[in-house]
Amino acid sequence: MKIALNILQAILIILGAPLVRGIVARCKAFLQRRQGASIWRPYYDLAKLFRKEDLVPPTASAVFRVVPFILFATTICAVAFVPLLQPAALLASHGDFFLFVYLLAIGRFFLSLGAFDGGSAFGGMGASREALISCLAEAPFLLSFVAIAILASHADIAGMVSWTLQQNFFNVSAVHILAFTSLGMVVIAETGRMPVDNPTTHLELTMIHEAMILEYSGTRLALIEWASAIKLHAMLALLAALFFPWGMASGASVGFVALSLPLYCAKIGLLIILLAVIESGMAKLRMYLVPDFLGVASAVSVLAVIFTFLAKR
Amino acid sequence: MGLVEVATGRILDSFSVFLFLTILLMAVSRRVSTSVLLFSVQSAIIAGEAFATGFRERLVEAYVIGVLIVVIKVIAIPRAFFGLVGHLKTSSDVKASTTPTQSVFIAAAMIYLSYVAVQSYGQSVHVSEDALAAPIALILTGAFLMVSRKKALMQMLGLMVLENGIFLAALTTTFGMPLVIEIGVFFDLLMGLLLMGVFAFRIRDTFDHLDVSKLRRLRG
Repeated sequence: MKIALNILQAILIILGAPLVRGIVARCKAFLQRRQGASIWRPYYDLAKLFRKEDLVPPTASAVFRVVPFILFATTICAVAFVPLLQPAALLASHGDFFLFVYLLAIGRFFLSLGAFDGGSAFGGMGASREALISCLAEAPFLLSFVAIAILASHADIAGMVSWTLQQNFFNVSAVHILAFTSLGMVVIAETGRMPVDNPTTHLELTMIHEAMILEYSGTRLALIEWASAIKLHAMLALLAALFFPWGMASGASVGFVALSLPLYCAKIGLLIILLAVIESGMAKLRMYLVPDFLGVASAVSVLAVIFTFLAKR
Repeated sequence: MGLVEVATGRILDSFSVFLFLTILLMAVSRRVSTSVLLFSVQSAIIAGEAFATGFRERLVEAYVIGVLIVVIKVIAIPRAFFGLVGHLKTSSDVKASTTPTQSVFIAAAMIYLSYVAVQSYGQSVHVSEDALAAPIALILTGAFLMVSRKKALMQMLGLMVLENGIFLAALTTTFGMPLVIEIGVFFDLLMGLLLMGVFAFRIRDTFDHLDVSKLRRLRG
């Protein structure tokens, strides 16, 4: 039963990812007083892309061809570490948060390689920007995990979540609030959302993610798009699990699951609304200001780690 | 003990963390209006702490002071600042002498410093370290804002943040100063803002900018 639930939550993240993207887009449309596309739009887009012809640039090597599959595989692997409905995950006992962070890093690395291999000038530009952002985001990403891991004295994500689950709601410590702030900023930078990268356009000179996938088409593009949607959903699920785990199923009975699923949807819904508000309320940062943005995230995460020693509560 | 009592008991500690967040955000903000908005939020948090203290200790004075904070520091002073920014028609930049990343690391170091400073008092007082460290961090950051921002308006804002810290220190250690003194301090702040407003207009009319670092040339 427990394993079945673990598989169910991994499938939920993977299949629900386009829906999350659709809802974010719909929320943004609502905030901007537009009609907006249907929330099921990303599914139609994926279905269309899977049917389309797959064009590969004549100069591209085998790297270009395998990159989407590697990206999709590593993202799915990372998903297996994220607890959703219960404080456990499919691969939780096989690795700690370092593995989670660097599985995502492998995907990014190969995506950048593929962008260079595509041969267009935009690809290289986007890849070098992605490399800059991801290496600046790595420190706060890891440190905010480290802060909570020290508090929970667990290195695996499921252990941290089950520790937080046992805490009183009013005992939220400085560490949690600081780590949440820093991890939230990292999620925005990592998933290429608004103040760092504009996810809705591929016509800007300042684009990052879109510049990298410009040369891809058909099935490969569908896999990349799906993988980035999964990444967004997994990161939001991780935020919900690490900082608001209350309401997760403590036992593996049908009743618990029936309760935790709508609660999970509500938590993700709140995070999506928050994301939509941030994206609509902020203008895109200039490229040279992105290091400042991530510098703030780093400072906050360093402070979170320091607080684990100061405020032992 | 009911849920409300537990919540109010925790508010003093949990809210100080949000104060740290406003401090860090103030350190990174590039515009005067953002800083003023953050000051307003910060004052609202402090008003919440005053109400919580009043509820827990059954102090009527704390409620009065809380209402005064909401009226003066959350609404009146920020409105006056926005009015000043609108009338002065200068650039909205705070003209920081440090980059945002440097500022946020300095602010973080100050928060750490305030924790170290209150370490020895932690045992003798009934409140937690968080609640003791927050006012000291506010005082230090207020001073830092005054020193590192060249825009004349930011000096006043730094002073306001500093005053917030002093008020919070009185609130957490001794449940607030007597009402008469608090009202006097509020009056002082309003007068300070008035003077600063007049002064800012004079600086702008004479020099066409609000950069205090360039006032050095006035030395004879």
